Amino acid sequence: MAALDLKHVSKRFGGLKAVSEVSFTVPERSIFGLIGPNGAGKTTVFNLVTGVYDFEGSITFGDTSLRGKKPAQIARLGIGRTFQNIRLFQSLTVLENVLVACEKRRRAHLGAALLRSPLFFRDEADMAEQAMKLLAIFKLEHMADEISTSLSYGNQRRLEIARAMMLKPKMLLLDEPAAGMNYGEAEGLKEQIRWLRDEFEITVVLVEHNMQVVMGVCEDIHVLDHGETIAHGPPDKIKKDPKVLAAYLGEETEEEAQSEAAAGEASP
Amino acid sequence: MPSWIKRGALALALVAVAVAAEFAMPVIIPDTAWRVLVQQALVAVVIALSLNVINGMAGQFSIGHAGFVGIGAYTSAVVASHMHARLGSPTDYSFAHSFMIVPPAIIAAGLVAAVFGFLLGLPSLRLKGDYLAIVTLGFAEIFRLLIATSSPGAPEGTLSHTIGQLGGQQGYGGPEDRGIAQYAGGFWLVGGAITAIIIAWRLKFSGWGRALRALRENEVAAAAVGVDPTSYKVTSFVISAIGGGIAGALLAGMRDGTPTVQPDQFNFFFSFDAITMVILGGSGSVSGAVLGGIFVTVTNRIIEQLQRLDSVEAFRIAHPDVDLNALRMVVYAAVLVALMVMRPSGVFGEREIIKGRRGPAEKPA
Repeated sequence: MAALDLKHVSKRFGGLKAVSEVSFTVPERSIFGLIGPNGAGKTTVFNLVTGVYDFEGSITFGDTSLRGKKPAQIARLGIGRTFQNIRLFQSLTVLENVLVACEKRRRAHLGAALLRSPLFFRDEADMAEQAMKLLAIFKLEHMADEISTSLSYGNQRRLEIARAMMLKPKMLLLDEPAAGMNYGEAEGLKEQIRWLRDEFEITVVLVEHNMQVVMGVCEDIHVLDHGETIAHGPPDKIKKDPKVLAAYLGEETEEEAQSEAAAGEASP
Repeated sequence: MPSWIKRGALALALVAVAVAAEFAMPVIIPDTAWRVLVQQALVAVVIALSLNVINGMAGQFSIGHAGFVGIGAYTSAVVASHMHARLGSPTDYSFAHSFMIVPPAIIAAGLVAAVFGFLLGLPSLRLKGDYLAIVTLGFAEIFRLLIATSSPGAPEGTLSHTIGQLGGQQGYGGPEDRGIAQYAGGFWLVGGAITAIIIAWRLKFSGWGRALRALRENEVAAAAVGVDPTSYKVTSFVISAIGGGIAGALLAGMRDGTPTVQPDQFNFFFSFDAITMVILGGSGSVSGAVLGGIFVTVTNRIIEQLQRLDSVEAFRIAHPDVDLNALRMVVYAAVLVALMVMRPSGVFGEREIIKGRRGPAEKPA
């Protein structure tokens, strides 16, 4: 059963085709990598899936079409995400950051909050308990009352994942989780991603540049370049794919080599 | 002690304070001018708290709060005055009668303001910062000018004639200009301010307030965890408008205030004062809005009184070329600039005098 299914998905920004006819299927409970050089359209694909932009083609999550759905609706369907450049609620505490993500599960609404009814207190206590449990899992519980921006970079990244997990998502989209990590931290991240998948029984899709992480943890990899699919398959196959190597190492095709040579002759 | 007994006792105590205020105010403060000042400060607290929902908690920038307050003031003036006329227009404005007049006037003011809050909330989904500010300013000015430029003397059947029933530039003074009913004494003003403080506090320290602040900090991330920007932004505008409308109702019906409402009361400077109250106290802080409201009201009055001093009068006569009113604005602005340099987030920032519930700490007592 497919957790996420993209069929002929395209996105234009004015004249620029950021994503072009991309199709892939993410199997349920898999760890799926979306890679490609800078500007390949990976993050754009994430933004299409999470409803930040509209798109051509079709994207289905389980049985539900994501066409025309807004980001908040998609989050409620069970897709959590993190961002390439960390987006925390800056002036809120660590605990509050996580609590915001369970607003959708709240039983006590504005009226109960204004009346401070018993339901309100029970709700708050329940939510706080869940949030603290989650923070403990991510080893952030001792800084629950710190303002989120006072955390170290690594802790901010973990907090962002914890916040996404508070949605109780069925699928988690990680946008460059290894950015800025050293070798040891990246190794730890690989473990954490596998553990997240097994513990919470979710599907994980990651956009990542760090090949150590991608090749080590992903079961399936989809490679984009200039918005187009250039390869798809398990890590072993991707590692050897000539198109992927060309895209990453910038190997020249014969045509480009000729045109460059021509240009070189024209300008002494 | 079970929590409901504690809460009930507290509620009773607050009602007692409000009732006491009704009867004690004229005794403790025999001077009408001082009484007006206290009543204005109480209304200002409600104004500041309501604006704080948009400008503080939601992080939008509205500079048209005068519009909501004005709409509330006119609505309640019309409702209260007509109901008062039904009572046979007694002149004593008794406390008992106020229970028949004030609640419907306040509800009507809140409802009408809520409709405009909803309409003004819609553009806030697409507009941010300066652009939204201009829309809110435009709204308040359109409201004021529609009333100010209409005339009851205009030919019947025209829009000007219809709106002109509200008195045009001369202001609204109730049916047949006998003055609007002024039932909002100490009970309603103190009660209104207390209620506004409780509601503002509970809004801020609730999941809703938390989500609203999250939206202010990062809209994309908030949406990505299921907080729908549309519903939160529009709701915050509606709540703020209701608060502003009710403040207007209290302002119009203020026991010792003037028995008319004038369009020019609700000009840009009114909105500007409201913003000053919020920013001075600290955007997003309930305590800050309360103190800001009181401080700005009192300061305005002090500056007004200073101008009446003999020495100042003498100076004015000796130097007719110096515009003291302009000087007042310069001093005022200088104080604000100094504050913004020293404490850019206001006196309180987003904090409170007493510790609020950041997260789950507060348990039912």
